[in-house]
This record gives sequence, C-alpha cells and structure tokens, in this order.
Amino acid sequence: MIAEQRFNVSPLRIFFKTIVARAYPRVVAANRQKTWLFFDMAFPVVGALAMVLVYQGLHAPRQYLGFVIMGGAMLAFWQNVLWSMAAQFSWDRGNGTLELYVISPTTFEGVLLGMALGSMFTVTLRAGAILLVGSLFFGITYAAGGTLPAIGVFLLTLAALYCLGMLLASLFLFYGREAWHLSNAMQEPINFLSGLYFPVHALGAYVGGAASLVPMTLGLDAMRQLLLPGTPVFIPAGTETLLVAAQIPIFALLAGISLRYMESRARADGKLVTRWE
Amino acid sequence: MGRQLTGYAAAVRLGWAVSSNWTRPLLFVVYSVLRPISMALILAVMYTVVTGNAAATRPYLAFLIIGTAFWSFIQEGVSEFATGILEDRGRYHILKYSYMAPLGFPIFLVGRATSKLASAAASVVIVLVVGTVALHLDIDPLRINYPLLVAACLLAFVSVIAFAITLSMVLLAGKDTHGYGEIMAQFLYLFSGAIFPISVLPGPIAWLASLSPLPYWLELCRRAILHGRVYQMFPEISDTEVLLRLLVATAGTVLLGYFLYRLTDRRARRLGYIDMEANW
Repeated sequence: MIAEQRFNVSPLRIFFKTIVARAYPRVVAANRQKTWLFFDMAFPVVGALAMVLVYQGLHAPRQYLGFVIMGGAMLAFWQNVLWSMAAQFSWDRGNGTLELYVISPTTFEGVLLGMALGSMFTVTLRAGAILLVGSLFFGITYAAGGTLPAIGVFLLTLAALYCLGMLLASLFLFYGREAWHLSNAMQEPINFLSGLYFPVHALGAYVGGAASLVPMTLGLDAMRQLLLPGTPVFIPAGTETLLVAAQIPIFALLAGISLRYMESRARADGKLVTRWE
Repeated sequence: MGRQLTGYAAAVRLGWAVSSNWTRPLLFVVYSVLRPISMALILAVMYTVVTGNAAATRPYLAFLIIGTAFWSFIQEGVSEFATGILEDRGRYHILKYSYMAPLGFPIFLVGRATSKLASAAASVVIVLVVGTVALHLDIDPLRINYPLLVAACLLAFVSVIAFAITLSMVLLAGKDTHGYGEIMAQFLYLFSGAIFPISVLPGPIAWLASLSPLPYWLELCRRAILHGRVYQMFPEISDTEVLLRLLVATAGTVLLGYFLYRLTDRRARRLGYIDMEANW
C-alpha cells in the first residue's frame, strides 16, 4: 500500500521536486566550493577592470565606466549560461549523471529549470557584489528613479537569458570535446555583439539588430538607459523591454522542441552514455 | 640528444592534435581567430565611441590592435596550455605516462607549449590583416623591422613558456583548478600593456608591471611593425634599451620559473599530484 502510494506521485509534483533538487546544489554547493566563488567573481571583475583602464587611457567621460561595470555584472550571467547551462549536459554525460536523469521519472525541462533558478540566485548575488564594489571603487552614480524599472527589466532579461541557456543545453547534448570549445567560442563574440563595454548604439542598426537575438543586448541597453541618463539610445527602453519579454516564451518553446528532438536522436545514436569523447 | 628531439617533436604533435582535431581544419581556424578578432573589435568600437576616430588619436588605435593581436600568444601559451595539462591529468588520465616517459617531463611540457604558440601565430597574422584592411592601420609588411620583431618574440616565448610551465605545475595541486589559467591570463592582460599603457596603473602596480617582460615585448612588436606611427609606452628609451630590458626580465622569469618548477615538481611527486583524480 505504502509502495503503491509512493509510485502514485503526480508528474507535476515530480516536476517541482526536480526543480528544487537540481537548484539545491547550484545554491548550496556553489557557495561551499570557495574556488568557484573566486572564479565566478574574478573573471568578470578582471575583464571589466581592463576595460575601465582602457577608457581611462582614452580619457573617456566617467559615464563610460558605468557602462563597463554594468557590462561586467551581466558578463557573470552570460558566463554562467554558457558554462553552467549550455555545456552542463556535456559535463553530466562525462561524469555519468546524464544517464541517471534519463532513467529517472522526471523530465529534462525540470532539470534545466532547476539549474537555471539555482544559478540565477547564486549569480545574482555575485553580480550584485561586482556592481556594488565596482560602482563604489570608481565613484559611479545611477539615476535613483530608474532603479525599480531597471530591476523589472533585469528580471525579464534573466528569464530570457536562461531560456536561451536551456535551448543551448539541448543543442550541446551531442557534443563531447566540442562543447568546451563552442562555449569558449561564444564568449568574446557575444561580449562584442551585446555591447558589454560600450553602448549598443555604436554597432549600428544592422549589427545591433542581429545582436538583439541575445537577450542581454536589449536588456543591458534598456537598463543603461534607465540607470545612466545620457546613454545613446539604440531602441527606446520600453520597446526593448517588450522585445525581451517576447523572447522568453519563444526561447522556452524552442528549448522544449529542441530537447525532445535532440534527446530522441541521442537515444538512437547512443550518445547519452558516451564518455571520454 | 636525438631521443630528446624525437620526444619534443612528439609532444608538439600531441599538443597540436589535442588542440585541433576536435573539428575540421577550416572550422578550427575560424575558432582560433574568433576571440582575438572580437576582442580587437570591442576595443576598436570603444576607441571610436570616445575619440570619434580623430586622426590625432590613430596611433592609440594601432597600439590597441597590435597589443590585442600579439596577446593571442599569451592566451594560448598560458591559458590554453594550463588547461591542456590539467585535462591531460583529469580528463584523459595520460599525464602520469608523459611523466614516466624517458624523454624528461620538462621537454614534454616545452613541446606542448610550443604547439600552443604555433597555433596562436595564425590568429596574430589574421588580426593584423583585419586591422590593416578594416581599420585602415598603416601596416606595410615590407617596412616591418623583422629582426627586431623576431628577437623580441623569441625572448617573449621563452618567458611565456617558463611562466606557463610553472603555473601549470602549481595548478596541479588543486582538484578544481580548471579555468585558473584563464584567470591568470586575464591578470597578465592588466599588467602587460596590451591594451593600455602600464603608466595608467596605480604607482606600485605599474612598478611591478615594469618587472615583467611582457610590456617590453609588446612595445618592441609595436615599434617593429609601426615605428614612429604608434603610441609608445616608453618613448624616452631606444629600441636597444627596450630589448635589453626584455632580455633581463626574461632571464629573471626563467630563473624564478626554474626554482618554482623544482619546488612544485618535488611537492607534486611527494603528494601524488601527477596522477591525482581531479573532479573533471
């Protein structure tokens, strides 16, 4: 009777329990492992610091330092999406966890959502620290009136960004050694296209428009317009916010479709259990 | 000697294969240049946004692009090399066999580092070509001072290899040090004068940076390629004096690297780091 009850757990309950279970190590283990804490914060900080010094070398107005600090904070999220979402199934396959996901009664979506929520929480704390320390150190001030709308845009951007991460995770399901190189290859070009260190306006309509496929491009530009008055306008912040909001269901839907397709292909090709590729 | 050379050549071939055979050659070339070209474009846009591409500031653009182009050697030689050695141990479990082979572990490491530097050379050339064509930098291959460029690069490669080998031996002590080579390369980025003159750094840090061979190497590369038409970090000293400083800094790096290598190697053997199970 008890055993029967155990097996009668609703799929929805399993789905939510999966989310919590997968988010748990992202929140707890990520803070327990001090080297990761250092790595997650040092990389964006050092990158941003280099760009701040470039602007100082060019005798740029102080406002540009604000662009860089905000870009550095967002870089922490993009790093996380690339290495801890997109490439994660590849690592999981290497250490044998992926096959456990497949034979458990849950779904890949639940696992990915758990990873995303856990990561969002952890990286937000780290990005907040980068923003705070960078702003205090370089004396950057923000428009107080834009804070609440900027937080709203930020949350929408995160949701869209991690849905994109879920889509990439499904695409990377097939890759072995290539996953590392693909994540690496997507780093600097996206840093350029999303205008992490300069206003997106400078890229022009065509390049900036194409770069808008990455939610960080529009989200970051909208937040800059709200918090750093005088930011050259690429698209008005309201329109950018709507576009980012529209990207959330699109990327989520594409991630679901892609996951189903890639999973069935991976089963057929025996790719779910391949190791040491 | 013959055996050492054969071993060195095998290490170079192995390094090249591990770096490149995960994809087709053309895709590998595209992958290799994506990062430095993107980096150069980021700096070019930042420069344009601030200066409006004014003629008087063009020497500074040349400074940025040449620094970024040659940075590929550090990116590959330090970051990718350290990752490669950690992968050999944690992912492929072959580091212990390389260590036990009769050719001598340092030769193996130098061979692996050589392959990394060789693969960076293509991206250096491509970034310079893109800089010349797209950003209208005044680079003329017939006017480059090749002896100065080659001498500077050879000295820099010696110090990069010494530094990278020592760093990877230090990183072997950690179970989860994957990515630290990248962080170290980023730190060097700050202290090398690759994208801003080291005089921008606060006083004591600028002094520390002046002990490194990297600012002198990059200064000589810039002078060799665009003598007089590029922003100079050390305008008051001659090419010969910069070369001399590079020589002294390289000798210091090699000496320090040698002692640290001996120390970390002994420690790695004593504590079993060479074949330690890392959490890959």
